[in-house]
Amino acid sequence: MNAIEIKNLTKNFGEKQAVAGLDMTVPMGSIYGFIGENGSGKSTTEKMICGLIPKSGGSITLYGRDNRDRDVRASVGVLIEAPGCFPGLTVFDNMMLEAKNLDIPDAESAVINTLKLVRMEGAAGNKYKNCSLGMKQRVGIAMALLGDPTLLVLDEPLNGLDADGMRIMREVFLDIVKDKKRTILVSSHLLGELQKVATHYGIIRHGRMIREMTAEELDADCRTYVALKTADIKRAKELLLIKYLRVEVDEEEYIRVYDSVSPEEIVSYLYDMGICVTEIMTDKIGLEEYYIDLMKEGK
Amino acid sequence: MENTVSFEKNSFGKRLKSMIRVDLSRMFKSKLFYILIATALLIPVLITVMMTMMDGTVSKDPQTGVETVMEGPDNAWQSIGTLPTEGDESSEAPSDGAGAMGAMGGMDVMSMCNINMMFMLVAVFICLFISEDFRSGYSKNLFTVRADRGEYVISKTLAGFLAGTFMLLAYFIGAMLGGAISSLSFDLGSLSILNVVMCMVAKIFLMLVFVSIDVIVSVAAKQMAWLSLCGSLGAGMLLFMMVSMITPLSSTIINVVLCIAGGAMFGFGLGIGSRAILRKTSLV
Repeated sequence: MNAIEIKNLTKNFGEKQAVAGLDMTVPMGSIYGFIGENGSGKSTTEKMICGLIPKSGGSITLYGRDNRDRDVRASVGVLIEAPGCFPGLTVFDNMMLEAKNLDIPDAESAVINTLKLVRMEGAAGNKYKNCSLGMKQRVGIAMALLGDPTLLVLDEPLNGLDADGMRIMREVFLDIVKDKKRTILVSSHLLGELQKVATHYGIIRHGRMIREMTAEELDADCRTYVALKTADIKRAKELLLIKYLRVEVDEEEYIRVYDSVSPEEIVSYLYDMGICVTEIMTDKIGLEEYYIDLMKEGK
Repeated sequence: MENTVSFEKNSFGKRLKSMIRVDLSRMFKSKLFYILIATALLIPVLITVMMTMMDGTVSKDPQTGVETVMEGPDNAWQSIGTLPTEGDESSEAPSDGAGAMGAMGGMDVMSMCNINMMFMLVAVFICLFISEDFRSGYSKNLFTVRADRGEYVISKTLAGFLAGTFMLLAYFIGAMLGGAISSLSFDLGSLSILNVVMCMVAKIFLMLVFVSIDVIVSVAAKQMAWLSLCGSLGAGMLLFMMVSMITPLSSTIINVVLCIAGGAMFGFGLGIGSRAILRKTSLV
């Protein structure tokens, strides 16, 4: 069974079509990384999944039922854009309010445990408006986790988190899907972080799904490259471009050769041309580069 | 491993109960609620005491030469409604306090500032209470787990109704206190205490009409509190004069039944409208 199944979903805002016939399948028990440029329709899709905005067309089913089903929707945790908290109330009071909303028995201990999970128990008494951006984000995630939801919809949950916060979130996400019953749909621009936890990916562009794949498929799709360092980067690149089709210099000043070629062959070729290679390795492109490549292809 | 998930069945009653708990919890933790209750309590005390002190004061317009006599309250009930005069049963009906208008063009603050102001004050509470849900983003949490918008509308209407009832009672207590401080008469004349009780009960049920209007305007305006305030106060003003006619101090069970019927009708009709607005429009 799929946790989310979307068919031909559309959303129009006046003349503008934000989502244009989107198809999406989120398997149960997965961490689904939902990726796309700003304004590609990610948040709009997530809002439609949660029933926060009406759809213009198409269908959304959650666990085989229409997304307007009251019982399914009661089991969805959400963090879209910013946490929904009252600024004048304390973190604890906000959480207690949400616990009442979810009708959680023994609300107080559930709130304390959830705050502990995101390492926010020490700030429970702080007024929400006095929390830092990272703390607010943690509260938002805690709120989404409250009540042990079957489906979590998280929009940019890692924004504002420090390195420790991101590590904690990764652990929390992996723990949630451990039993393969619960599912997380997460959109983020921090693709490196997303790649560490996601089991499935969906890439959206101009309101359409352009690629859906598993982490294994992404791994197989990601091309290998040879990265090398030399003293004369400019000349080495010029020489390599004569022989190979795709040669690029990355931000760390490594020359990357994307053609299927062995490191020995490159070292030998450059040596013959009078260039000494100081460092060389083979690697695979990550999700970030894969995504950028895909976007370039589209353009 | 079984690839299915079962979901707990949540009855409407259970969902409504949890929504009401959220709203009441928020209401009783909100400063705004207590400020409005305190305002409702203090206004009649201040007005009654001030008007009693200024009773008989004459002010003259320097341009026209017209003299205006400040007229204070005759009795403690004037902030609630007008006592009928001997042999004129209908005189109290047109407007609360309006009967006290001085015959010589006297200024009567009581005709404007009486208990019926609470029907406007409750609009301030509801508009800010509902818009806060949308401004804070809490509506996302609420409506994600609540596919049926009916619970939200009923709960908000009940919270507003309760707040309005508290305001009416606070004003009543304030009026009595003001009367006592100003040593005004508590004599009801031809009326009995039962009429006063019926008047208050009728006003409480009539509150449902105003609350339903405020709720529908607020859910339509969402985070735009200024818009919902303008809309609710505007609609309230149109109905304001009706309040004194339907709920005079000489109210009987007929007035109460009328107000219950009106409250139920508006509550139900506008509640359906509010639910439809929430279902058809974007909530974020």
